[in-house]
Amino acid sequence: MESFQHPFQCVKYTKQQSSGSAGFLVASAGRRLYSYSAVNGQCLDAWPKTVESSSELASNDQVPAEKRRKISSAPDAQKEEAKEKPSTKKASGNQLPEWTNIPILLTSSDGKHVVALTADDKCIRVFSLNEDGKLDEISSRTMPKRPSALALTPDGQTILCADKFGDAYSLPLVPGEYTPRVEEAKAFKPAATNLTVHSQRNLQTLKNQITQFEKEAQKSALKASNADESVASGFEHQLILGHVSLLTDLIAVSLPTDASVNRSYILTADRDEHIRVSRGLPQSHVIEKYCLGHTSFINKLCVPSWAPQYLISGGGDDFLLLWKWNEGKALQKVPLEGVSQESEISVRGIWAVSAEQSSGSPVQAILVGLEGSSTLLCYTIEEDTLKYQDTIQLSGNILDLAGLDSRGSIVVSVDNIRESGSTEAWKSGPEVPQILLEYFQVTTDQGSLKWNSAEDPLVANINAAGTSAIATDVDNKQKKALDGVLYSGGVLRKKQFGEDQ
Amino acid sequence: MATPPSKRQKREEYRRNLQNQYDAHQTPNVEVAEIKMPQKRFFRQRAHANPFSDHHLDYPAHMDWSSHYPAFLDPDTSKTTLGGARKLLKDVEVVDIGCGFGGLLVGLAPLLPETLMVGMEIRISVLEYVTSRIHALRMQQQKLKNAAIAGTGATSQDSNNTVEQPAIEDEVGNTTAVVPGNYENISGIRANTMKFLPNFFGQHQLSKIFVCFPDPHFKARKHKARIISESLNAEYAYALRPGGLMYTITDVEEYHHWVLRHFEYQSEEEKARGGVKDLWERLTDEELAADPCVHVMSVETEESKKVSRNNGNKYVAVFRRKADPEWST
Repeated sequence: MESFQHPFQCVKYTKQQSSGSAGFLVASAGRRLYSYSAVNGQCLDAWPKTVESSSELASNDQVPAEKRRKISSAPDAQKEEAKEKPSTKKASGNQLPEWTNIPILLTSSDGKHVVALTADDKCIRVFSLNEDGKLDEISSRTMPKRPSALALTPDGQTILCADKFGDAYSLPLVPGEYTPRVEEAKAFKPAATNLTVHSQRNLQTLKNQITQFEKEAQKSALKASNADESVASGFEHQLILGHVSLLTDLIAVSLPTDASVNRSYILTADRDEHIRVSRGLPQSHVIEKYCLGHTSFINKLCVPSWAPQYLISGGGDDFLLLWKWNEGKALQKVPLEGVSQESEISVRGIWAVSAEQSSGSPVQAILVGLEGSSTLLCYTIEEDTLKYQDTIQLSGNILDLAGLDSRGSIVVSVDNIRESGSTEAWKSGPEVPQILLEYFQVTTDQGSLKWNSAEDPLVANINAAGTSAIATDVDNKQKKALDGVLYSGGVLRKKQFGEDQ
Repeated sequence: MATPPSKRQKREEYRRNLQNQYDAHQTPNVEVAEIKMPQKRFFRQRAHANPFSDHHLDYPAHMDWSSHYPAFLDPDTSKTTLGGARKLLKDVEVVDIGCGFGGLLVGLAPLLPETLMVGMEIRISVLEYVTSRIHALRMQQQKLKNAAIAGTGATSQDSNNTVEQPAIEDEVGNTTAVVPGNYENISGIRANTMKFLPNFFGQHQLSKIFVCFPDPHFKARKHKARIISESLNAEYAYALRPGGLMYTITDVEEYHHWVLRHFEYQSEEEKARGGVKDLWERLTDEELAADPCVHVMSVETEESKKVSRNNGNKYVAVFRRKADPEWST
């Protein structure tokens, strides 16, 4: 094989409680979604089906489309159009779907649903995952703004979606009947009057506006009333909270209280260093706490399911913060050690794993990956502090991680295309064999953890099968676009400041 | 050929002189004949600022208020805040969001002399005006107080003379009387409250928030920049204590309805769905009439004076923050 394979952007492990199977590995690479048997790595399904993994694909289709501008005056109509497009499965053989990557992937706790975000069309797609590992798309909903984080509520019935505009919405996992609320078309009336604007220019503008709208009103009156332009976006979604900033992460947590009742919370992080602790649905408008202490953007939040009182947050700072989040109290500032300080740090992911062992209690660890780094940091939580453990060295930059808790192991997705430690330097050619996933088994020795690289048919078969190919002759612009898809944390950093005289 | 000094140069020179005046007053044993109020024309700035862009702002995780209210410093120097600053005897309780030239603060200061109040303004020049205005007012009060102590009879004549000089119209805020609180209870900070309000105030810290004549952002696609929105109202509810009041006034009728729409349910159906409007209730007209703050808000701010001059309308709405609902399970 003479071409690079698309690395796995997201990897998730899911297990269906009812069935006795070992579960599935669900992963996204390029524009496709895959499901694998967690036993032997056999590919069970891929979506969409028409995108063939042949290397014949025209290389210029592999880079993200230019950001589409809304030209139409009725964006709703456009939205409707996008929604009505069939889930591209039935599309003719050489037609490619309109997204280039799947940056967010979720699995429901019962293992029966997979939620994926296709990037370029801002579309949240829900799949059912059956006992044979087959993926069936059951809904696709195009959001008004680009989602930056998705989460499922503790009951698993509602998707929470945070977007780049700072708003968070709730959507039912499985959309039911929806009758759009019909809003009556309002007659235009300028908000300004000659009592509120005074300068000559403003008054003139106001006058022009009024005459303009009078003309249009006459026109539309002629057109009769069938032009019902007020189309709702076509599915049920409710604004639950908002920041005046870019939301970067959102998680839903259930915290046991003294009275043996669980309280649900929503935690949101933004680019302006805030972590907000709000109540869970339907009271998300009640803000309980803020966790303040970061000095740069926040990228990732992690509340371990095995210790839900703690929050670990990270982003553009060279430290992590450990919080008692329901008190808004920072417990510890954890410097990110053992990392090259050459470039600016951006945390890529924080994962909590609880790896079971043949004897003794499970190993509970926090794993932290930095953008463009092949070193995976490992911590344990002891007495309100994060304790540094041996790091894990990977063969390439970390992209995502999934804990196979019942086996005491983790599967790590690595970047097979770029040199270790770089987000933009491509290797001269694909290595043989290409390593997309790596497998590590945990051992403990007197309280300290060790993750040992191991051979496992799961990753061996997936690596051998590969994903879909990237042509070797992509030009620099296309390379840059592909880099941007996988390494987007840095753009959150504040660089330009406005209007300060 | 000497070109006339540029606007910027004039401004800089003016501000330098002003600073010198303040410094001279700080030095002991130097009698400053009179204290000049800053003139607005040297501080004017475009009336709009983009709340979404990144400004060079200071928004500490633990705010240091000690330099803002020196008269309210806790004498016990061992007490410090989480950020390591000196503690105050009390917390800031009243906020004017978008305080502009600070007219409301100056009007409220004698009304609530024991309450710490802060004005927040995103425009840097305008905030500099507020700061120097408060500085000048405090010095003037000090001078008046000193004069009163030195000799009640003779100096009262003097002080009257000094103040009744040909007042330049732009130098607003000259007072002849010693006012309660001596303007020690007001201050201004530069901030983008839409992004950083929670950096300055803790949960339920405030008793009053004022939003006076906010930028109306007439265009529909700019409505996201309005200071009143459902998302922001949740933040105001976080900072306000239950029972605390949210004051709004505007001269734009459409904006007034916008405000009402974002604090009150518009239909039974909407109410059944619930949301942030659960946390607010509107005050009745009788309650408004009984509240002196409403009067100050309606007549004292620079913007309200301008609206009066232009025979504009003023729309007032005040909302009480209700207690948080019971946790739903």
